[in-house]
Amino acid sequence: MTNQKKQKSHLPLRLNILFFIIFILFSLLILQLGVVQILNGEEAQQEVNRTDKVVSETPVPRGKIFDRNGEIVVDNEQKYAITYTPRRNVQPEDNLRIAEQLSQYMDMETGEVTERDQKDYWLLKNWDKGFAKLDEEEKQLSDSDQYQLVLERITEDELSTLTEDDMKVAAIKRELDRATQLTPHVIKSEGITKEEYAVIAENSHEMPGINVSTDWDRMVPYQEFTSLIGTVRNRNRGLPRDKVNFYQNLNYKLNDRVGDRGIEEEYELYLQGNKEIREHITDKSGNVIKSEVIRQGERGKDIVLSIDMEMQQALDEIVQEEMLKVINENPNKNEHFDKTLAVMMDPNTGEVLAMSGQKYYEGDEDTEPYFNNEAYRVLMDTHLPGSTVKGATVIAGLDSGVIEPGETFRDQPLRFRGSQDKVSWTPGIGVVDDIDAIKRSSNIYMYRTAMRLGGHWDYTPNESLRYNGEGFDLLSSYYRQFGLGSYTGVDYPREENGFLGSDVKANDVLEMAIGQHENYTAMQLVQYVSTIANGGYRMEPHIVKQINNPTNDGSNSVYEANEPNVLNKVNVPDEYIERVQEGFRQVFQEPGGTASYRFSDAEYSPAGKTGTAESAIYPGDNIRIDTLNLLLVGYAPHDDPEVAFAIVAPHLDESDSHINNEIGRRMLDKYFEIKEERQSSEESSTEDEENEESEEESGE
Amino acid sequence: MNDSIKRQRLDTFMILIVVLLVIISCITLFSLQNTLPAAIRGRPFYIYQGVWFIAGVIAVGAIMLVDFDQYRRFAMPLYWIGVLSLVGLFFLPWAVRLNGALSWYQIPIVNTTVQPAEFMKLFLILALAHVIASHNEKWEGDKNLKYDFILLGKMFALTLPPFYLILIQPDTGIAVVILFIVGFMALISGLRWRFIFSLVGITFLITALATIIYLTFPDEVSAMFADTEFEHALERIQAWQDPTQYQDGSAAQAIRSALAVGSGQLFGKGIMGTEVYVYERHTDMIFSAIAEQFGFIGSSIVIVLFFLLIYRIIQIALECRDPFGTYLSIGIVGMLTYQIFQNIGMSIQLIPLTGLPLPFISYGGTSLIVYLAAIGFILNIHSRQKSFMFETENR
Repeated sequence: MTNQKKQKSHLPLRLNILFFIIFILFSLLILQLGVVQILNGEEAQQEVNRTDKVVSETPVPRGKIFDRNGEIVVDNEQKYAITYTPRRNVQPEDNLRIAEQLSQYMDMETGEVTERDQKDYWLLKNWDKGFAKLDEEEKQLSDSDQYQLVLERITEDELSTLTEDDMKVAAIKRELDRATQLTPHVIKSEGITKEEYAVIAENSHEMPGINVSTDWDRMVPYQEFTSLIGTVRNRNRGLPRDKVNFYQNLNYKLNDRVGDRGIEEEYELYLQGNKEIREHITDKSGNVIKSEVIRQGERGKDIVLSIDMEMQQALDEIVQEEMLKVINENPNKNEHFDKTLAVMMDPNTGEVLAMSGQKYYEGDEDTEPYFNNEAYRVLMDTHLPGSTVKGATVIAGLDSGVIEPGETFRDQPLRFRGSQDKVSWTPGIGVVDDIDAIKRSSNIYMYRTAMRLGGHWDYTPNESLRYNGEGFDLLSSYYRQFGLGSYTGVDYPREENGFLGSDVKANDVLEMAIGQHENYTAMQLVQYVSTIANGGYRMEPHIVKQINNPTNDGSNSVYEANEPNVLNKVNVPDEYIERVQEGFRQVFQEPGGTASYRFSDAEYSPAGKTGTAESAIYPGDNIRIDTLNLLLVGYAPHDDPEVAFAIVAPHLDESDSHINNEIGRRMLDKYFEIKEERQSSEESSTEDEENEESEEESGE
Repeated sequence: MNDSIKRQRLDTFMILIVVLLVIISCITLFSLQNTLPAAIRGRPFYIYQGVWFIAGVIAVGAIMLVDFDQYRRFAMPLYWIGVLSLVGLFFLPWAVRLNGALSWYQIPIVNTTVQPAEFMKLFLILALAHVIASHNEKWEGDKNLKYDFILLGKMFALTLPPFYLILIQPDTGIAVVILFIVGFMALISGLRWRFIFSLVGITFLITALATIIYLTFPDEVSAMFADTEFEHALERIQAWQDPTQYQDGSAAQAIRSALAVGSGQLFGKGIMGTEVYVYERHTDMIFSAIAEQFGFIGSSIVIVLFFLLIYRIIQIALECRDPFGTYLSIGIVGMLTYQIFQNIGMSIQLIPLTGLPLPFISYGGTSLIVYLAAIGFILNIHSRQKSFMFETENR
C-alpha cells in the first residue's frame, strides 16, 4: 500500500507537466492558424483568385463514307487506347515515373525511340553521373547549354547499358512527352490486349493523367478505291505542311489527323466533326480547380458519295479486262499503252456514278504485272480528245453563222501551199451536211468550218491558209461553255483544266476543230457530252451526293446536299444542240455511224461520238513515236439521257483495236443491267411485303 | 448484473465532445461530396462515416462490458496478435499495397481494407500500460538506476518490433505516433527525472547532430537514403523546407492545403464554399476543408474541442486510482495529441506532410473504430472509478 502510494505520488506533477506540454502544442496550432488565416489570409485569397484558363479539346471519331446506295465505303474501327492527359507544368521526372509504372502493365514498340530519346532517358536515370562529365568552368554555362553538353558526352557504351526494359520505358516516355497539357494524347492504340487494358484501367489512379479510352482507325472495305477517297494522316505525321496555316486558322492541332488527298481532304471540315471542348480553370500552380464542357463533342458528319460501288467495281473490271485483251493480243506493239480512264455521270444532276483510272504496271522478275486503280487520273491526266469534240465545233459553226443548218461540204483532201494534205480518217465520205459530218466523223467539214471562223471563207486548192487572228478565240469560247478547257468544278482537292492552246497559228485552229490541238481531262469530256445530252446545261460534277448528320441508329438526316448546280447554259438556240444530238444518235444507231457496228443493237438507244487522236510521244531528243488515243463519249437513252460517259485510252499503237467502243458498250450494258436488277428486286420486295401483310391478315 | 450496469457512470461530457466531432466530420464530408476526384465524386462518405460510427459505438459497448482491469489479462495476447498481423502483411495473400505502402489487408466479402497498424497502436498502449504497472508492482525498495534501465529496457523491447514493422511498410506517420505514445508513457512510468533528462539530452544531441549533418551534406544524405523506404520521408522534409522548389512534387499538397486554409480567413467561405482543390481531402486533408469553409473561428472551435477531450482524459487519468488505468489513459493521450498536432500542423505548414488521419473527423472506418475503442477504454476507466474508491474506503 505504501509502495503504491509512493508510486502514485509522482503522477500529479508529471501529468501536469504533460498537460502543459499539450497546452503549448495546441497553442502553437492556434497561433499558426492565426498566422495562416488572419495574417496571410487575404494574400492566400488573392492567390486563389489568380487563376488561368486552359482550353482542351478531345477528338471525336471521323465521319463515315457511304456510296449512293448506302453501301459503306469507309468505316471507323474502334480500338482500345491508352491516353495521357498531363496536368499543367508537368516535369520530365513525373513522366518518367509514369512511364516506368506503365511499362509494368503494357508492351510498347521501341522502334521509334531515337538516339536522342535514349540519351534523355539515360541522363534522367543517371543525373549525377551525367553532370559529372562537366568541369567547373562548364558548370557556369546556362542550364540548357550544360544539358546539351552532357548529351553530347554520353558514350555509346553508356547507352548500351540500357536494357530492353529501359528501352520500353523510354518509348513510353517519348509518347508521354508529346502530350500537351490537359489534352488527352493517345499513348498506345495498336494491339492493346484485353489484359493490358484491364490492368491499366484498374491501376490508372496510380498514374495521374493515364486513362483508358477508345481510338479509331479508318477501315476501307474497298481498298482499290482508296486512290479517289484518299486516306487519313496518322498523328505522327500531323498536318500536311502545305496546309498547316489553313488548318491552324481553323483551330486544328499540329498532331490532328486530317484527310490526306481525295474526298478525305476535300470534305475534311465535315468529316472531322466537332471536338469536345473543355475549359479548365487552373490556379497558379497549374492544378485544375474547375473544368467545364463548353461544347459537346460530335462525331464527324457522314459523307454519301454519288458513286455507285456496284457500278464502280464492274467498271474497274471491264476496263481491266479490255486493257488486258489489247496488251496480250500484241504484247510488243502496245508498249506505251498503260492506262485507260473511264467515267460515268448523270447528265441531269452532275452526280458521278463511277470513275476508273486503271494503270497497268508490267512488273519485273519478282512481281507479276498488275493494275493499280488511280481514279484521280480522270481529273488530272489530260489527253488529245480527237473527234469527240466535233459536236462543239459544229455548234460553234452554226451559232457563229459561218455554216447554216444543213450546209454541205464535200469531204475531199485539202491542199494548202507549203503544207501536207489534210484528210479525213475514213476515205470516201463524199458530200456531207452538219449531221452527216458528225455521224461519219468528217475532218474536212470541221476544217472548213474552222477556216471560215478564221476568215478564210471559200476553199481553193493550193492557196495559202489565211487567218484573221480571231478564229481560235471564237472556237474556244464555245468549247469552254461545254467545259472543254474549263475547270469542271468537281468536288475534289485538285483538277486540271487541260493543256490549252496559246500563241495560235492558222493551222492550229483547224487542228483544234478536230481535237488535235488542246488536251482535256476525262472529266471535262464527260461534262461536255452531258451538256450536249441535257440540252446545253453545263453541270458541276459531284463525287459526293450529300452530307448526313451523324446518327447512331442508322437513320438518315441530311445536313447538306450537293444540289445539282448549273455552271452555265450554253448560249445557242436549242435547234443547234438538237442537230448535234441527232448526229450523235446516228453515230451510234444508224448504218454508217462510226460506232454503229457495236451499238446499233443496243436496246437503250445510246448516242455519242468516237474519237481517234494522233498522239505522238517524244521520249528523247528528235525521237518521235506515233501512237493513237482512242476515245468515246456518249449518253443513253438518246431521248431522255440518264447516264453520260467518257472513255480515254491513250497511246495505243496504230492498230485496229476498238477498246473505246468495247468498254463503252460493256459499261452501258452493265449500267442498264444493274438498273433492271434493282427495279425487279424492289418490285419483288414490295410484293413480299404485300404478301407478308396478307399473311398476317389471314393469320388473324 | 443489474448492479454492474448501475455502477457504470457514463462521462457525458466526453461523449458529447466525441459526438460533436463526428457530426462535424459528417457535415464536412457532405460538403465535399462534389469536389472530390471524378472516380469517387458523389459517393456519400458522410453516410459511410455514420455507419462506421454506429459500428464503433457497438465496439465501445462491448468494451464497456468488461471491467477495465481485466484488460491486463488480454494485453499481451492482443499485443502478439497485433505484431503477427503486421508480419503477415509481408506474405499473407490478402495483403494489398496502396499508394506504395504495404499496409492493408483486403477483407474479401465486405470488400473493404483494414490497416493493422491502426489497431497495433491500441494494443501497444495496452501492453505498455500492463508492463509498466507490473514493473512498479514488483519492484521492491527504492528506485535506482537498475529500476530505470530495466523499465526502459522492457518498454524498448515491447516497442521496437511494431515500430520497425510499421516503418518498413513504409508508414512513417504511424511509426512516429508510436514513438510519441512511448514517450508520453515513459514520462509518467515512474522513471526518475534525472534519468529522463539524460535521455532527453542524448536524444536532443543525436537529433541535432543528424540535422547538422543533413544541412551540411544534403546531397550525400539524400544519396544514402535513395532507393530505401525512407526516401519519400526525406523528400517530404525537403519539400517542407523549401516548398516553392518542390511545387510540382511533394510540396504541392502542402501549398494547396495552406492556400485553402488561408483563404478561409476569419469567418470562412461558408458551407459548400470550397474553392481550392486539395488531394485526399476527405481523409488526411479534411482539416483544410473545415478551415476553408468555416474560417479561423470554425477551425479554432475544432481545435478547442480536441483540447477539451484531451483535458478530460488527463483528468480521468489523474482521478484514476489504478496506475494501469492512468498509464492506459496517457498512452491514448499521446496517440491523440500527436495525431491531432501532426494532422492539423501539416495542413497549416507548421510541420512536414505525413499521411495521418485526423481522429474522428477524417473519413476512414479503421481509424474511426480504433479511436472510438480508445474512448471506450477511457469511459470504462471513468465508470469504474467510483466502485474502486468505494472498495478502498471499505478496506
